[in-house]
Amino acid sequence: MKEEVKLPVTNENGYYEIRLESIGGLGANLCGKMIGELGAVFMGLNAASFSSYGSEKRGSPVKAYIRWSAQGQEIGINSPVEEPHILGLFHEALAGKLPVTAGVTEKTKVIVNTDASPMEMRKRLKLCGGEIICIDALKIAMESKTRINMVMLGAIVKASGFIPFEAAEELVRETIGKKYPNLIQENLEGLKRGYEEGKSMFFQEDGTFERVPYQEAKNKWGYANAPIGGANPRIGSTVSNDLSASREGYIPLFLQEKCINCGLCDTTCPDMVFQFKPGEYKGRPAMVNTGLDYHHCKGCLRCVDVCPTNALVKGVEREHPDLKWFVRNKDLIVDRLEYEDAGPNSWVTSESHFTEKRIDGGMV
Amino acid sequence: MEKQKILFESGNEVAAFAAKQINYHIMGYYPITPSTQIAEFLDQMKADGEHDIVMIPAEGEHSAAGICYGASTGGGRVFNATSANGLLYALEQLPVQSGTRFPMVMNVACRTVSGPLCIKGDHSDIMFTLNAGWIILFANTPQAVYDMNICGLKIAEAVKLPVIVAFDGFFTSHQKRRCMVFEQDETVQKFVGEYHAECSALDLEHPVSIGSYMNEPDVLNNKFQLHQAMEEAAKVIPEVFAEYAEISGRQYGMAEGYCTEDAEVLLCLLGSAYHTAKVAVDKLRGQGKKVGVFTTNVLRPYPAEELFQYCKNAKTIMVGDRQDSYGAMGGNLSIELKAMLQEHGKGADCRVLSRVYGLGGRDFYESEAEEMLLSCYRADTPKFDYLGKYSGDINMQTQQYFAPISEKEASPGLTQCVFEGTDRQRAAKVQGGRINETTAMPKRLAPGHGACPGCGIPVNVNLLLRGIEGNVVLLFQTGCGMVVTTGYPKTAFKVPYVHNLFQNGAATLTGLAEMFRQRQKRGEYPDGEITFVMVSGDGGMDIGMGSALGTAIRNNRLILFEYDNGGYMNTGYQLSYSTPKGAKSSTSHVGPEQYGKPFFHKDMPQIMAASGIPYVATVAESNPLDFIKKAAKAKAYAAEEGMAYIRALSACPLNWGDKPNLERKVIGAAVDCCYFPLYEVERGHTSLSYDPGEKKIGVEQWFSMMGRTKHLTKPNYSCVTAGIQKEIDRRWEILKAKAEHEML
Repeated sequence: MKEEVKLPVTNENGYYEIRLESIGGLGANLCGKMIGELGAVFMGLNAASFSSYGSEKRGSPVKAYIRWSAQGQEIGINSPVEEPHILGLFHEALAGKLPVTAGVTEKTKVIVNTDASPMEMRKRLKLCGGEIICIDALKIAMESKTRINMVMLGAIVKASGFIPFEAAEELVRETIGKKYPNLIQENLEGLKRGYEEGKSMFFQEDGTFERVPYQEAKNKWGYANAPIGGANPRIGSTVSNDLSASREGYIPLFLQEKCINCGLCDTTCPDMVFQFKPGEYKGRPAMVNTGLDYHHCKGCLRCVDVCPTNALVKGVEREHPDLKWFVRNKDLIVDRLEYEDAGPNSWVTSESHFTEKRIDGGMV
Repeated sequence: MEKQKILFESGNEVAAFAAKQINYHIMGYYPITPSTQIAEFLDQMKADGEHDIVMIPAEGEHSAAGICYGASTGGGRVFNATSANGLLYALEQLPVQSGTRFPMVMNVACRTVSGPLCIKGDHSDIMFTLNAGWIILFANTPQAVYDMNICGLKIAEAVKLPVIVAFDGFFTSHQKRRCMVFEQDETVQKFVGEYHAECSALDLEHPVSIGSYMNEPDVLNNKFQLHQAMEEAAKVIPEVFAEYAEISGRQYGMAEGYCTEDAEVLLCLLGSAYHTAKVAVDKLRGQGKKVGVFTTNVLRPYPAEELFQYCKNAKTIMVGDRQDSYGAMGGNLSIELKAMLQEHGKGADCRVLSRVYGLGGRDFYESEAEEMLLSCYRADTPKFDYLGKYSGDINMQTQQYFAPISEKEASPGLTQCVFEGTDRQRAAKVQGGRINETTAMPKRLAPGHGACPGCGIPVNVNLLLRGIEGNVVLLFQTGCGMVVTTGYPKTAFKVPYVHNLFQNGAATLTGLAEMFRQRQKRGEYPDGEITFVMVSGDGGMDIGMGSALGTAIRNNRLILFEYDNGGYMNTGYQLSYSTPKGAKSSTSHVGPEQYGKPFFHKDMPQIMAASGIPYVATVAESNPLDFIKKAAKAKAYAAEEGMAYIRALSACPLNWGDKPNLERKVIGAAVDCCYFPLYEVERGHTSLSYDPGEKKIGVEQWFSMMGRTKHLTKPNYSCVTAGIQKEIDRRWEILKAKAEHEML
């Protein structure tokens, strides 16, 4: 049994708590499990880890929670981590979307996967304060042929200030090394670079931004006003979901002058993105592709693959901040629509070998 | 004490680990969240050669329980795991297992029972089993799940009763904790000892009849024997727990309590919430409040004496029920506790309050445990309530984003099917269906649904509905398709939609379609047509095979559309009967001892064709025009003659292990290798819609495109792949022969 590492700080219940916010496919679940194991097996602590039960589905938000306590202390609480000591944000697209920064104070260490600076990230996240550590985990992961979660793990170990780096290395050797011995060097490199390459800056709670309190999600429908039996009269209401966060960096770009209005894109799009309207093509009445509704495009690029004339091409989303071809869903009867960034929705809970092995997953 | 080691694993993982150490003979199972991982982990360990348990994937929980029952009559050790509706589907098997006295162990990762469908954890499922005659142990930590799986088997075999090891779905089943497990499997095997069955259907020297036909007065005596066994269990359980403490250092009681001795106010909770409440008790004790908490580790036999010891000094007991026995002013935990107190003469001087909490997996916060305890000090606190309920925003404006699709809008006349010829030889002919023109068809499904990027389900559903003009009413069986479209409080459907259970959609839609026709006949409903369409995954068509075939044989006028993605994708890709042979899934791992799924993919269109329905077709998004036209034909047959069945091969980038953008090519390859031939069977006559001819490719070309089958293209799996190729060719040749010969 390992010698117990002393926790430098704990909350009123005696726990050291970590929360990871991510998008399905980036390996946050596995990272959460590894951090838990790091405490339980390699640091002599008591530990618990779990995920926002829900989502291994690609592209949907995922949360992972880790609690550590002294070895002799029970961990009785099973509810989400509300005020984390460490917050890991696996995807910068989460900034300003869902309340991922809930519970952060100036005592929190916030690790963000981004190429931006801590100053810039503070603004984008509207963080009240705390130590912000920015790490370009995507770039490092691609360069060292590992996954984002390894790099993030390294950065978390460093940020904590008390997790022995050797313990993390041993963990990676034990867990990844046993299953995939040929990937061990890449993963160790990712871990090390994550440990070394973070850019850190501390911000006091100077009032620039407010604290975001932890809140349990509530719907407007309650027992007094929800239709009985769960029947839902709001037809097509998923249209108010904005699914942009599902995209993995790429979007289809539409070059209308090349379009022959064949309609194949509309047969392959799972997300009803294409807005065909009655119009004129080559002097004849025809259904005409008027463009894409990017709110609902998940970036699968099926359309690019089927387009016979290259009127649809793959583009890097970052390079096209204003989508000039943006077209609203043509069937909407409302003038204005408040979009909601879609939260976890899936019930895919398996941590089967696929979800862990999928090197394609996420952006790596 | 025996040697142990630390594992950092979840309740499901350690349940599987215990089962592996015991090395059961048989596990019959059917995947259902959140218990599925137990079978998944066991399958992984099986592929790695770590145990020798025969894993039998049933086509539904009813059959899984049947497999377990049959296996248990054979004198060996049997294991199962389920949850929620799976447990209820298997429910009628439970009293048979106990009434005929065959021990086994079943894990129940507790989950909310439908409906509305919810996959999260509460205790509404386990409380249905209180009267099943099973011993029910309740483990409130992953460690206890491991320990009780080992103790449970020993108890079961000692008193010849089956045992349920129940625990909180997700909170315990999925939360990873530091657990101690025995280093050596032999330690566990020595502890549980050898099993000697009372009788066995395999004992040819002493033949017995199992499952007698029995009426009064004998049933009464049989049940009294069961009662006696439960009484015996009440003695055996503490003995086994004590024996286990000697080798493990962990002592369990029938019940357990914390700070109960001098407590005036007590909280009674079942499962993981017990530990949360202990934190609250510590806090309130720090403020001088005499509070405590207790729980039971055994639901059956009910440990009345042990529980009473914890609450004999209490003035108020607050019971948290994670389910409700609607109309009884409390869940079963409350009701039984009240009865126990009454029996001990404490009914009058102890106030019992009930709070239904944590339904549908709602988190239980430490602050809530504090509030539950503190509310006991107030005189006006209600006897019964739901914790965490809220009235909602009554000023909420319900905004409608879309207008309902009118029949006129849905009938642009772009795809039409007409019957030509005389009655006897009427042929269905489809006009139109052109890809560009039919973009004008209103979409019955709205965007914004939660399917994965590149998912084939909305693609297929949209193509199908594009070819069906006029009014439609949809029914989805449980599967990704319904989960990603109807997450409350939103829905993607713009037309009427029903979801009932996983497996009986065809029956449900029969009822609905017949109600429409009957109401029309009685003049209660306007004239006109509605096309009734059931949409199911291949999982739904496994568990729902009986209901679908029943509907086909009755020839009810509706369309049954199956999207076949070859696996139970919404629970994390377990094998379905339609998964390609050899493919890896989370219940058919690839390892030194296993090459993937062990049997061939189900040929559902041919099964349906054999039922004699007027129209059967296969479609693929790679041939969209053919797809749309077949949808129109199905509509025409459903309107005039009876049931139509259409099956589409549907891409699942997440679990097929391929790139979302290339899915249409992957589907095209499945068609070109004749794994998924395109054809139709109209009134018994087969015609091929597409014959790749010279362009027919080998199945390994298709397999090489997907992560789940890539291994099959390697030389060491060549004999498996050759076998699959042979089966595909055999089915293709038969199809061709059928297409050529009028009588086939």
